[in-house]
Amino acid sequence: MANIQTQMQQFHEAIKLKRFEENKTLREKRDIVLERLKSGLNKLFGSETPPSYEYFNQGSYEMGTGIKPLDSDYDIDVGLHFNISKEDYPDPVEIKKWVYDSLENHTKKVEIRRPCVTVFYQKEGEPIYHVDLAIYVNGNNDTMYLAKGHRESAKEHQIWEEADPHGLSDLIKNRFEDSEDAKQFRRTIRYLKRWKDIKFSSDGHAAPIGIGITVAAYEWFILKSSITDSFSSKKEYDDLEALGCFVRAMICRFQPKCVEGTWYDRLAVQLPVVPHSDLFEKMGDCQMTSFKEKLEKLSEAIQEAQEKVDPIEACKLLQEQFGDDFPIPSPSSTGKKRSPAIISSSSSA
Amino acid sequence: MNTPICLKSDGGKLEISLPALSQMLKFRQNRCWKSEAGGVLMGRYIRESLDVVIDDVTIPMRGDRRKRFNFFRDRDRHQRAINQAWQESDGTTHYLGEWHTHPEKVPIPSPSDRANWNRHLQQDIFSGDTLFFIIVGTESIGIWEGHLKNPIHILIGEFNYSHFNTR
Repeated sequence: MANIQTQMQQFHEAIKLKRFEENKTLREKRDIVLERLKSGLNKLFGSETPPSYEYFNQGSYEMGTGIKPLDSDYDIDVGLHFNISKEDYPDPVEIKKWVYDSLENHTKKVEIRRPCVTVFYQKEGEPIYHVDLAIYVNGNNDTMYLAKGHRESAKEHQIWEEADPHGLSDLIKNRFEDSEDAKQFRRTIRYLKRWKDIKFSSDGHAAPIGIGITVAAYEWFILKSSITDSFSSKKEYDDLEALGCFVRAMICRFQPKCVEGTWYDRLAVQLPVVPHSDLFEKMGDCQMTSFKEKLEKLSEAIQEAQEKVDPIEACKLLQEQFGDDFPIPSPSSTGKKRSPAIISSSSSA
Repeated sequence: MNTPICLKSDGGKLEISLPALSQMLKFRQNRCWKSEAGGVLMGRYIRESLDVVIDDVTIPMRGDRRKRFNFFRDRDRHQRAINQAWQESDGTTHYLGEWHTHPEKVPIPSPSDRANWNRHLQQDIFSGDTLFFIIVGTESIGIWEGHLKNPIHILIGEFNYSHFNTR
């Protein structure tokens, strides 16, 4: 079996986004939006003092599972926690409008979306990044509620939904105690997220969402490493094996479901914190079927790559699944250097 | 198309790449007028493993003598091909053994083949202590491993050509 751990790690280096606090550019963009929000809220409330709030990073950067986007439209996820009670502000869209009004005209496009307020940045007409501001308020007993719905939503969709963004980040970040083990966990999530970007259209709900993949890994990922030196207990990680096992674990958790006489296989991944919703619920039944088929193709490609002797051939198969950022080594980098041979003539019969 | 993979006596694997395989199969003696052919095997010892990949082969060149039932390979031109591959690959493409054809369905090495293989093991200068020997029959290919310190060559793989067309 070809050992391509080097190429797996090179691929990871090519696709990974550093954690938010290590990423100066994105941090600066976030701070500009936060400054603007502060002055906008002050203006909006006039002589009154606006409610106080704290911000925090959330999403994949915070969890260490971010990848570079294919279309260079980076997203920045920020939580805004207002120190007000949902009992005093029953309308979540009202709070979203504060944020919207404070940031309006800051860029060409600011939008109230169902789970957040989004500020879009463009350069020469192309999106370069956007900031998603998720708005939270207090419930009773330390609980947090997320503002959901937009202005045009029906009243039943304008709701305060209980949420635990810090709890979720902590679960993902603390899934593995050993820091090297945790790195294999995060690498595996990143590999699959890039595969998703390559293999699925970004329109609508065709693609499984990143947090769904992350939580699936939280539930079903198994470490794959072997101890190469029992004296120092140095571990050698096998990312391809770990990824293959994780993909198979996902495939075997699809459950049949009957819709109007037709059976569909669906994968449900439950959020491990409130509101414990299914992260893939928005995917349609046909989209789910395509998700499963693509996972099966990926699983086959991984197994085939593992059977290859030549690492070049193994990497060619994987590049078809993961795109051009997956490296194919040169022949000379895969062969051992040895001295030249001298042959004699030959006579066979 | 599947490429042939054999288990070597040291536990590593030997793979014949597609280009090397198709080059050899062109010389199959499946017609009565086709004479014997042969050449040397070249490829890589894969890093961090015991695996070997045959990437390329030489084919009959000027100076070689081809008959229906025997083949004589001249030294110089094949040696030049080995030197060139070694240089161009920064010292990573190596001489790994030799191949020739037989006009029989399932190839069996003749006593003179075995003597010739032993001569290569003793007289050639190569890295490591094994060489590989391939005989291309009309319906299948056989792969033997020869060891410097053991005069018996071990058959490590035999593949019917139908094996390669399954995918």
